[in-house]
Amino acid sequence: MKRILADAKAFGKQYLRSRTGTFFALAFPVILILLFGAIFSGSGTSTLPLYVQDLDNTPASHAFLDALNNTTILVYNPIPANANITSYISEHTISLALVIPRGFQQDVVNRTNVTVTLYGDPTQSSFGIAAAAVSGAITGFNFGVQGARPVVSLRTDTVSQRGTKYIDLFLPGIIGFTVLTTPLFGMTSICAEYRTRKYFKFLGTTKLSKAEWLVAKILFYVLLMFASVALIMAAGVLVFQMDGTLTPVAILLIIAGTVEFTSLGMLLGIFIKDQETSSAIANAIGFPMMFLAGSFFPIDLFPPYLRTVANLLPLTYLNQGLQATMVLGNNAAALVDLAITAVMALIFFVIPARALSWKAK
Amino acid sequence: MGRPVSPSDGVAMELAIEVRGLRKEYSDIKAVDGIDFEVRPGHIFSLLGPNGAGKTTTVEILEGLRDPTAGSAKVFGVDVTRDYRKIRERVGVLPQDFEPFDRLNPREAVGYWASLFDRRITAAETAATLETVGLTSRAETQAIHLSGGEKRRLGIAMALVGKPDLVFLDEPTTGLDPGARRELWGLIRALQSGGKTILLTTHYLDEAEQLADDVAIMNHGRIVARGSPDQLISQYGAGTTIVLAGAGQAGYDALQARGIVARQENGNVLVHVDDPSQVRWTLAKVASIEMPLKEIYTRRPTLEDVFLRLIGSHMKEGVLAE
Ligand SMILES: Nc1ncnc2c1ncn2[C@@H]1O[C@H](COP(=O)(O)OP(=O)(O)OP(=O)(O)O)[C@@H](O)[C@H]1O
Ligand SMILES: [Mg+2]
Repeated sequence: MKRILADAKAFGKQYLRSRTGTFFALAFPVILILLFGAIFSGSGTSTLPLYVQDLDNTPASHAFLDALNNTTILVYNPIPANANITSYISEHTISLALVIPRGFQQDVVNRTNVTVTLYGDPTQSSFGIAAAAVSGAITGFNFGVQGARPVVSLRTDTVSQRGTKYIDLFLPGIIGFTVLTTPLFGMTSICAEYRTRKYFKFLGTTKLSKAEWLVAKILFYVLLMFASVALIMAAGVLVFQMDGTLTPVAILLIIAGTVEFTSLGMLLGIFIKDQETSSAIANAIGFPMMFLAGSFFPIDLFPPYLRTVANLLPLTYLNQGLQATMVLGNNAAALVDLAITAVMALIFFVIPARALSWKAK
Repeated sequence: MGRPVSPSDGVAMELAIEVRGLRKEYSDIKAVDGIDFEVRPGHIFSLLGPNGAGKTTTVEILEGLRDPTAGSAKVFGVDVTRDYRKIRERVGVLPQDFEPFDRLNPREAVGYWASLFDRRITAAETAATLETVGLTSRAETQAIHLSGGEKRRLGIAMALVGKPDLVFLDEPTTGLDPGARRELWGLIRALQSGGKTILLTTHYLDEAEQLADDVAIMNHGRIVARGSPDQLISQYGAGTTIVLAGAGQAGYDALQARGIVARQENGNVLVHVDDPSQVRWTLAKVASIEMPLKEIYTRRPTLEDVFLRLIGSHMKEGVLAE
């Protein structure tokens, strides 16, 4: 135990003294959360600016615009009636525009079909939202015109008791991302350095065992991760009022995840003798995992085959668990994820710690 | 401790190292091809040989870091392939091309290394160890800022923290400038005076000649000659060398033109004479040839000559000349 503490202390000293390592470990996740926070808290209140060219300008078209406004999703800005719609859109870099044709009221009164046109980029998520809102407004307007009374009505309510905002999901996502990347990439490069500088051999002449060496690294990374999580949460909560609580289950998840990815990094770094290959494999494992395990995008949005892939990734359970306990307040679900993460951590730890001695061939 | 020495061994003293029939084969090469040697306590034993001779392989087997293909290797009577743990605390190791941990200063590095041997080390002991290797004034400087010689000395300080009886130094002076090499030689002699046994590998002939009580010349995994430098020189270093100091390329060319076999070394031209009765005659002949010359003298053979005779070529920085 003394040896482990001494090794962890010496390792930590070296780590913190090399400024780039510390920067990436502590500052990078904070920068990420500030970036994501800035991007998503802007659209988080989610009203979309909709530019409208009302060529009819009659009581009926005004009533339709009122219906649009009532959706509360769209904020309406007028486009002059004499403007050419396509050139106006490109000149003003407008992403959403609606044109109400001349004769709108006439057609409505005559009960002939009339078409309003929505201009926009269908690859943007805002377009889908706007199209849905406009068609909602059209439905309401149609009911009104036919004098029918709506039978079904919608009441909205938030899913979580705490009123989860989209951005709140980023807090556990960034924590999961950090617990993956810092130890995984760190350990593969440390193992490569220890091999080329022959430190493994040098350590092999001491009493420190490989398992003890790994435990010492884990110990340090756990402390580093808590420092990092504290900074991430401080940034998220203070700057963007994100919601999230560091529950006991979350703490256990962070520990289990750190064990998991520190060990995985050691596994790669030790079994793959060539430095370039081991860091390439760490990247090949790490980068897709960041995106596929739901750190930044909810897994529910994935097509089914990607969801299957996601379910095979260790980080998925860490992310899910952190989300469940930190944001959704669902500790029961988080405990299942904790159990899965802990089992994987154990497997990843045992392989490098048991299968190898310091001895060369 | 090791097994008790049996009366049939005939020696009261336990050998520090005993190697018998040692082999280490890789798929494409016999790195160590059946060697025998023993090291007496308190001696400096040198494995001398060019790159790839098998020095490091031999040393790492003795350090418990590699398993031999065949043969036995004992340190203080303990079989290192099975029971290295038992003698670990009596052994200190400086690996080849040692680089210390960049971001630890010597004081921290020594303390850290001691704790890996479960040795509680006081500030005074740390200071004493650093004093031994001459790093007192650099104790608080991160290793990344140390010179090459200081880094090696830090490595030796780390090898010494366990207060070992036996120290392995694998090419401790390779890559250092002459001044730093001489400083290290002084340190190695001081360690021996302090009672330590030292196994030193090197490809510097002068280093082995200066330091070692016992030398094994290794090539292609085999020991080609063994003995004290004096023994080796009297056994293999027959003959005398005539040194034409400052003769340079012009002197070399002049001798070549007359069919006299010579070689150049640091601006000097050397002529080797095997038969003692021919020395005077050769000296007179060489002296009569016109060439730039500072001085002319004869030199008794060195390990250099022994090596040339045994291996058939010169060695520079571990590389054999054709
Ligand atoms: N793990 C290994 N796999 C294959 N060949 C090896 C291995 N280790 C050493 N060798 C080979 O064994 C031979 C002896 O190597 P060794 O390192 O013992 O030489 P050395 O005398 O220490 O040389 P140097 O002066 O360059 O350090 C070399 O040809 C080397 O290439
Ligand atoms: Mg070597």
